[in-house]
Amino acid sequence: MRRTVLSALALTCGAVLASTAPAFAAGASAAPTRTPSAVPSATRAPTPAPTAEPTRSASTAPSAEPSAASTRAPSQVAEVPSGAPDTGVTTGSKSSDDMTTGLAGAGAAALLVGGGAFVVVRRRRTTGV
Amino acid sequence: MTSLSRRAFVTAATATLLAGCGGGNGTTSSANAPQRQGSSTPSGQPSAPSSAKTAHALARSVPVTLRVPAIGVDTPVIQLGLASDGTVQVPPITAHDRAGWYRHSPTPGQTGPSVILGHVTVGAYGDGVFRHLAKLRKGDRIEAGLENGTTATFTVTTVRTVAKADFPSDEVYGNVARPELRLITCGGTRTGTGYLDNVIVFATLTG
Repeated sequence: MRRTVLSALALTCGAVLASTAPAFAAGASAAPTRTPSAVPSATRAPTPAPTAEPTRSASTAPSAEPSAASTRAPSQVAEVPSGAPDTGVTTGSKSSDDMTTGLAGAGAAALLVGGGAFVVVRRRRTTGV
Repeated sequence: MTSLSRRAFVTAATATLLAGCGGGNGTTSSANAPQRQGSSTPSGQPSAPSSAKTAHALARSVPVTLRVPAIGVDTPVIQLGLASDGTVQVPPITAHDRAGWYRHSPTPGQTGPSVILGHVTVGAYGDGVFRHLAKLRKGDRIEAGLENGTTATFTVTTVRTVAKADFPSDEVYGNVARPELRLITCGGTRTGTGYLDNVIVFATLTG
């Protein structure tokens, strides 16, 4: 009797343990199976985090910096001139040098005429004509 | 009694071992996941810096001569800056005028648009150094002699005549990905004092 009772008890304990073990395994594997499937969510968390950090901070930051660099800040031409360059002087126009020499010539001619008139007047006065 | 308890312990131990094996598998699979992440992240990182362009740019050196064999240009090059009104300075009006490099642009051969200007006519002195610039065609050669003794050789890609009122500053002075050269002079219809248009030669470094 005792033997049967004890063996039945042992079997029951074994069965309980065996059932709890899978339950435990299921519970423990629910965490791991969630970790594998939640590791995807955990991998999603790391993958967006590490790949978002490397891809955003490494690919968008460096790739945005050169593109921003090429368009804005480090302009290859340090100072962009305004308007169009005036790289042609036609014969009709005169340079400032020509203008100054013209003015100087006109001034000298006026002085000569004035001086000549002064001499003529003085001569007329001295001769009494 | 003892044999029964042995059996019971053996059964319990077997069940515990089975449960332990199941749990162990879960931890190893989750341990594989971080390894994949670790392998995917480094493989993503090297791919990003591998997209770098190689340009045959030259070291910075100021241009001192300019040769354009197709139109018989062989001239010294002076340096030009900005005028007080913000426009680009132009070479002086002299009998034997020279070309001028805009010193706020890259030197010929550096990555970017290097800008060289010259007169088409110099008033009473007659033709300017860039008198026949508009005759250049695609494929013509331009050689810029640099201060360090090297020569930057360019090939003409485009010759454009544009109205001064619509001068394409972005295309002339804007950033580019390779070493380029712009030769600029006046052209088009003459007015009393100058010209209505600009002739712009776009060229790229080829040697």
